[in-house]
Amino acid sequence: MLRMRLLPWEYGIRNLFRRPARSGLTLGALTTVVLLVLVVVAFIRGLEGSLATSGDPNVVLVYSIGAAADIENSAIPARTAALLSASLDGVEQRYGVSHVAPELYIGTKVRTSAEAPGMFGIVRGVTATTPLLRRQVQMLEGKWPGSGEVLVGKLTAAKLGCDSSLLQIGRTVHFDNRDWTISGRFTAGGAAFESEIWAPLEDMQAALKRQDISLVAVGLSGGGSTADVELFCKERVDLELQAVGETAYYSALQKHYQPVRMLGWIVVLLVAGAGVFAGLNTMYGAVVGRVRELSTLQAVGFRRRSIAISLIQEATLLSMTASLLASAIALFLVNGTAVRFTMGAFALRVDSLAILVGCGTGLLLGFLGAIPPAMKAMRYEIVEGLKAV
Amino acid sequence: MNELCKLVTVSSLATSLAMFAGCSTSAPPVASGPSAEGASYLLAAEPVTAKGVKDVRADAKDADDVTLIGRIGGDEKPWVEGQAAFVIVDSSLKPCNERPGDNCPSPWDYCCDADELPKSKVMIKIVDAAGKTVATDARKLLGLKELQTVVVRGKAKRDEAGNLTVLADGIFVRK
Repeated sequence: MLRMRLLPWEYGIRNLFRRPARSGLTLGALTTVVLLVLVVVAFIRGLEGSLATSGDPNVVLVYSIGAAADIENSAIPARTAALLSASLDGVEQRYGVSHVAPELYIGTKVRTSAEAPGMFGIVRGVTATTPLLRRQVQMLEGKWPGSGEVLVGKLTAAKLGCDSSLLQIGRTVHFDNRDWTISGRFTAGGAAFESEIWAPLEDMQAALKRQDISLVAVGLSGGGSTADVELFCKERVDLELQAVGETAYYSALQKHYQPVRMLGWIVVLLVAGAGVFAGLNTMYGAVVGRVRELSTLQAVGFRRRSIAISLIQEATLLSMTASLLASAIALFLVNGTAVRFTMGAFALRVDSLAILVGCGTGLLLGFLGAIPPAMKAMRYEIVEGLKAV
Repeated sequence: MNELCKLVTVSSLATSLAMFAGCSTSAPPVASGPSAEGASYLLAAEPVTAKGVKDVRADAKDADDVTLIGRIGGDEKPWVEGQAAFVIVDSSLKPCNERPGDNCPSPWDYCCDADELPKSKVMIKIVDAAGKTVATDARKLLGLKELQTVVVRGKAKRDEAGNLTVLADGIFVRK
């Protein structure tokens, strides 16, 4: 094997350019397959990333025990925030401000103009302490909302299915029977908050004629633990509260979306499988059309194994070129594209793992697709091959 | 072609295995018998004067010595992670698995008695000599599990809203 004379590297490359139409079509097919794989993986990674970055390990969510895992259905007394702040020792405090944020969290129809149809949006009633706990949140432009004003997230337009120009600062959105002026825009590093609308809690309570709140987010100091908050909730039977670490809450949501993720990975396998057969078909065509050439190579002294390796080299070169092309297209056109889902919206993420899976699939397509035709080529008798038309 | 089919199958299986290998989750503490620390809280004999949870909730005043009997449950997760604290329910309530035809996956949450439940459950905290809750999960400390019947001896603690917590110094676990 070590003394085996391989075909020159340039031979394989030159062969690809000898049949530009066939090579171009194969390249197009392989690029499409790898791009499809990248899109599906970017979808899975975007969904996972959105839920993973939404949780802060130092934040505990306190909400109604009857709401199960759905904060939207939760209603707890507004005094819960003050009670938690007064009763717990492990609450983070800075400059005399307790990191305890009461919030109202609702799904409601939002209209971007008087004639626009209402689209389902997520609205969070917030106070000045909310940014102390939602540390991923950064203002992009504008100011914190005053009375009658709202902040919109970077992906709110995707969630509402409207043009982002309709959510510029100074424009008005309508929900819960009143108009709200947009005072600013924020980003949240890919977290679920990015697709929400944030309004002052008191204004929302007035608009909804509600005295209660949906949840309280509690920030823990170094000495505090989720168990302390859990203990408080279980002792205060009258309040019917439950405490869940924010990370655990979003992990549970990830489990909820597990079938979607599994389906995504199955699609990746199916698409890759289809790609292997497409590559196989092309390479079989390439071998059948070159029987005389391959036999001539054998006649001039190249061993069958060398010819097979050269065929695999051709296919792998083509598939890796396709992988690079697909990765470039995915990075420039797919990465960051907003996708709407029940909890809000998230951006497709063509990250290192997506590129690895995409290029790995491309490599497998070329390698696996070339092996059977290469083996077929190895079986040809020289005399028969030379006579082939 | 046969070789190709084998290769595709093997690589698909390998990928699937790799995916599933990354899906393990951390399991909650499993009851494994009382620890050495927990053994000091276990009572050798069952106290004979135990009252039901409902009675204690109705009668006990703050700082009263109480002995009560109940079953561990009242919530899908009656435990407090990492703390020797749990919820018990009055024995008069039937867990879902003791009702014919009920296949509730977490019968200890007494979801069939949702209306009765708030006034039939009480929080138990195992406390040390200084009155602090022992910082070991009750399942590890005492080897407890859901729906076990326990007799708890301790002091009643009422808050301003009338909620009752029992600060326990001794517990008897019925076999």
